[in-house]
Amino acid sequence: MKSLNLLLVLSGLMAAASLAAATDDLKIVANKNIGADSISAAELKSVFLEESIRFAGTSVEPVLEDKGAVHETFLKEYLGKDANNLETYYRTLVFNGRGSMPKTLHSDAEVLAYVAKTNGAIGYVSAAIKADNVKTLVVTSGRNRGERILLTRTDPEYPEILRKMHIGGMVRLRVTISAKGNVETAVLLGGNPILGENAITAVKRWVYAAGSLQTTVEVSIPFDPEH
Amino acid sequence: MYRRIYLWAFGALLLCLGAVQARLDAQEFKLFDRTVQVHGFASQGFVYTNDNNWLTMNTSEGSGAFTDFGLNMSTRLAERLRVGAQVYDRNLGQLGQYHPSLDWAVADYRFQRWLGFRGGKVKTELGLYTDSQDQDFVHTFALLPQSVYPTDLRDATIAHLGGDVYGTVSVPHRLGDLSYTAYAGHRSDSIYSGYSYLFSQYAVYFKSYGGLQYGADLRWTTPLKGLLIGGSRLNENITGKGVAINPSSTSLALFPYVESSKADWTNQFYGQYAVGRLKIDSEYRRYWRDQFIYGETSENTTDVRGWYVSGAYRICQRLALGAYYSRYTIASIITGELGPYYVDQTNTGLPANHIYDKVITARVDLNKFWNMKVEGHFMEGYGNSEYPDGFYPQVNINEFKPNTNALVLKTSFSF
Repeated sequence: MKSLNLLLVLSGLMAAASLAAATDDLKIVANKNIGADSISAAELKSVFLEESIRFAGTSVEPVLEDKGAVHETFLKEYLGKDANNLETYYRTLVFNGRGSMPKTLHSDAEVLAYVAKTNGAIGYVSAAIKADNVKTLVVTSGRNRGERILLTRTDPEYPEILRKMHIGGMVRLRVTISAKGNVETAVLLGGNPILGENAITAVKRWVYAAGSLQTTVEVSIPFDPEH
Repeated sequence: MYRRIYLWAFGALLLCLGAVQARLDAQEFKLFDRTVQVHGFASQGFVYTNDNNWLTMNTSEGSGAFTDFGLNMSTRLAERLRVGAQVYDRNLGQLGQYHPSLDWAVADYRFQRWLGFRGGKVKTELGLYTDSQDQDFVHTFALLPQSVYPTDLRDATIAHLGGDVYGTVSVPHRLGDLSYTAYAGHRSDSIYSGYSYLFSQYAVYFKSYGGLQYGADLRWTTPLKGLLIGGSRLNENITGKGVAINPSSTSLALFPYVESSKADWTNQFYGQYAVGRLKIDSEYRRYWRDQFIYGETSENTTDVRGWYVSGAYRICQRLALGAYYSRYTIASIITGELGPYYVDQTNTGLPANHIYDKVITARVDLNKFWNMKVEGHFMEGYGNSEYPDGFYPQVNINEFKPNTNALVLKTSFSF
């Protein structure tokens, strides 16, 4: 028991040390009418670049923030563009009659409020923010949803002591899915190790649609101490 | 009179945009429960050259006859159906002359990411920037490389009245994305464009110029981050109609003039590497044009080749620097009845048959909506032939000088 407490304290210190980085973490939020719990990185990019107008059988609308660390991280990690390049991209669409300027809001709170009330809206907010009236989408690294569709998802256990200590953030796993759809292995890539262990336990219970081959994807799971 | 009204309107627009630029994010309104977006742009340039007048302006004395603006509206009528239109107007020296045109008017139906249709007057996909060549605010440079994107000939490639099939597919094995566009339609040039203006020196006055064009563009977003490569092909069947004075006759009477394509095609290949603040572009375009002129009494073949390499780097949010080298050559031969009157222009080493342009530029973004550019061009050659590229004998009454340096200042608003 002592060793567990020691581990918890150590992990707490590690989490505190990486708190600044954790505040930069983000989660993908969607209106509850979207019938999916996960979205691949390629699908997410396609939605935000206005190449796809539907996702999981629903008409979708991308919602951006206009500035901030979360915004910069999202652009870099998921769209591969900086803010200037993205602005140029959207303007080229608009002035050639090939798209529209997406909804751009000023804060996480505005994004959450808009996504909650707008069917099909998909946005991004800080992983640390409480997000009650929206659903959080797990981002997988698969190229498209057709490859592996998540059928059954089990939420990981959030140790109460960590929650009370406000230790949270994003856990990233590399998950190997068998052709039949079972999770064969899950390896921690980043995030709090205790939360990571719980995430691995949960993810091993996930079931994907059967595919033609074994697949490896990257999964990000947010742990929100306020939620 | 009209010019004065337009200049006043443009000035008023600049003032309004300056005054309200902080509120320009919200350019949409509701109409029948649909959200309609409104966007616009305006640019004003000034060009000074040490020798030769350029782009039909009186640039050797400094010219500000370099203005354009556009305004568009668009909305989504149904989940997959988007409609919109843009009006565009410009004045560039002797070209444009503030005659507004419908730049594009499109109904766009997208089934899936891999399949969509556009119909109406549609911007033509040809190389990296044909469709965005008017959009000063998206480019680092005040003038795109004129060897590939001659601004005096924008009408020739900017849009077609017809339809596109387009889409994007992922390449298996994580090898990136392929985007395709195939199109067919009718090209219709303004009679205030560069080609019509050039031919007025031969006492040929076009009343219409255009015809069928069809082609395709294929671009590969490679798995190497930021690297895009692609190719475009454009075929055309053009007819120009007007009146002319017969050059082999002593009579000054005007007679009906017709010229038409025997063969007319463009190949363009391009690559772009854009990562972080750095963007490097390179394109090659070859335009082969074989025309029957003066009815079918004579034939003019022109072989226009251009390529450039450009680099741009954003130093900070408000400042970007760039440079490019642009190389243009033209060869022209006239056969038939008019053949004896013209000398074959096949030596592309002569200044009359090439333009080599070295360019440096600085772009300053005053805010999200307003930028200013300073650009220097150092040109060798003037490429004066039966197909234009910037230098026109009508505004260079004395003989052309072999070299031209140009200072270009430009500012643009967009919202």
